[in-house]
Amino acid sequence: MAFISSGYNPEKPMEGRITDIGPQHFDKFLPPVIKNNFGKWLYHEILEPGLLVHVAESGDKVYTIRCGAARLMSVTLIREVCDIADKYCGGHLRFTTRNNIEFMVETEEDAKALKKHLNDQKFDGGSYKFPVGGTGAGVTNIVHTQGWVHCHTPATDASGTVKATMDEVFEEFTHMRLPAPVRISMACCLNMCGAVHCSDISILGIHRKPPMIDHEYLDNLCEIPLAVAACPTGAIRPSKVEIDGKSFKTVAVKEERCMFCGNCYTMCPSMPLSDKEGDGIALMVGGKISNRISKPAFSKVVVPFIPNEPPRWPTMTKTIRKILDAYAKGANKYERLGDWATRIGWERFFEVCELPFTEHLIDDFRDPAYYTWRQTSQFKW
Amino acid sequence: MAVVEFQGKSFEVDEDGFLQRFDDWTPEWVDYVKETEGIKEITDDHQKVIDFLQDYYKKNGIAPMVRILSKVTGFKLKQIYELFPSGPGKGACKMAGLPKPTGCV
Repeated sequence: MAFISSGYNPEKPMEGRITDIGPQHFDKFLPPVIKNNFGKWLYHEILEPGLLVHVAESGDKVYTIRCGAARLMSVTLIREVCDIADKYCGGHLRFTTRNNIEFMVETEEDAKALKKHLNDQKFDGGSYKFPVGGTGAGVTNIVHTQGWVHCHTPATDASGTVKATMDEVFEEFTHMRLPAPVRISMACCLNMCGAVHCSDISILGIHRKPPMIDHEYLDNLCEIPLAVAACPTGAIRPSKVEIDGKSFKTVAVKEERCMFCGNCYTMCPSMPLSDKEGDGIALMVGGKISNRISKPAFSKVVVPFIPNEPPRWPTMTKTIRKILDAYAKGANKYERLGDWATRIGWERFFEVCELPFTEHLIDDFRDPAYYTWRQTSQFKW
Repeated sequence: MAVVEFQGKSFEVDEDGFLQRFDDWTPEWVDYVKETEGIKEITDDHQKVIDFLQDYYKKNGIAPMVRILSKVTGFKLKQIYELFPSGPGKGACKMAGLPKPTGCV
């Protein structure tokens, strides 16, 4: 397409420039019933999976229908969402913190009609466009990252692994039959953008090979001290190499100290490390962020490596299913996955989930590793 | 990688317009870049920032932190943005010929 100016004048870039206006005030987009009852809600109920009702002091009710979304979406799809909001909700809608879409209506009949309408929408391939669910003790949307769609440091894909996993656990999205909510999150490298460090089940992209070093370019493209300081294990040091009689300033990596985190590549483009066979996925479980009964907790690594198997990652989805089933079977009501594993003991967790325990799972990172070992004789055979 | 010709000099640059080699920097580079960075004329203040960035990079092998840039040159961050509308990284470092900033930027 030919160039069409927005009115911006590149000759005078600072002229008519508007800055620091921040986001719009949320107040502008509230549905009337929310605006009128703001801060005056009495109680709420989950009527059925994906359908909530909030009742205000005034007696006003608002029915919320929550539906799944792929997070990565086209303008076409957003327009369709807007069309639905125009038709049923006076043009109002919201997105949740887990990237589900919520439509709000004022009567139960409207809510039921909207729920049916949403569940009827499908893509040409057959997938639900707006599957209703994600409430109560089920599996809601997966918080995830960019993966091979946009990022330069991933060890696996985000959208692909998430679609494969949600297909596997779809029944749990549309039902509320687990002991407590199960949050699944995904990050494509251990920068852990998002929530993998604090989720019930986490999918994490990992590398297994040290970085390759472009000695000839490194000093030109990188600030060497930053690459050295980026390493959590002190595996990188500045050095010099001779190539074809020319001397280059560069870095050297002590490979037996490298644990393939990829931080140095983040800081220095001349140290790429992604690798088709080396890269894959680690699974972590048992994290939570709420304060309900037990304190918030980090998730722990329980599967050190699963190979990347695009496009459906069958080993990964099967393992997640296995963990989820064992949890659903074994846990008490209200018990989050981490609470359950702590109660039965991690040795029992590995037994009932049929996961092999390997040396990779034993913490060996600095002094705090010691506190993760068992300093008691209390254990089960 | 693209090569830019300007006033009889040629510069190898990446897709963001950063110099590929610090050693390729010449005063002509500053004149070439200022157009795209929204700068009409290089004043003494501009030169002071560029000179400091280059000295610091030669001495330490890294670009200075913003607070160090401010403290040494005496320009507050606001003034640095007035001089270089794209900011200290994309504007000043690019003009000074330093490598492209990395990390989660």
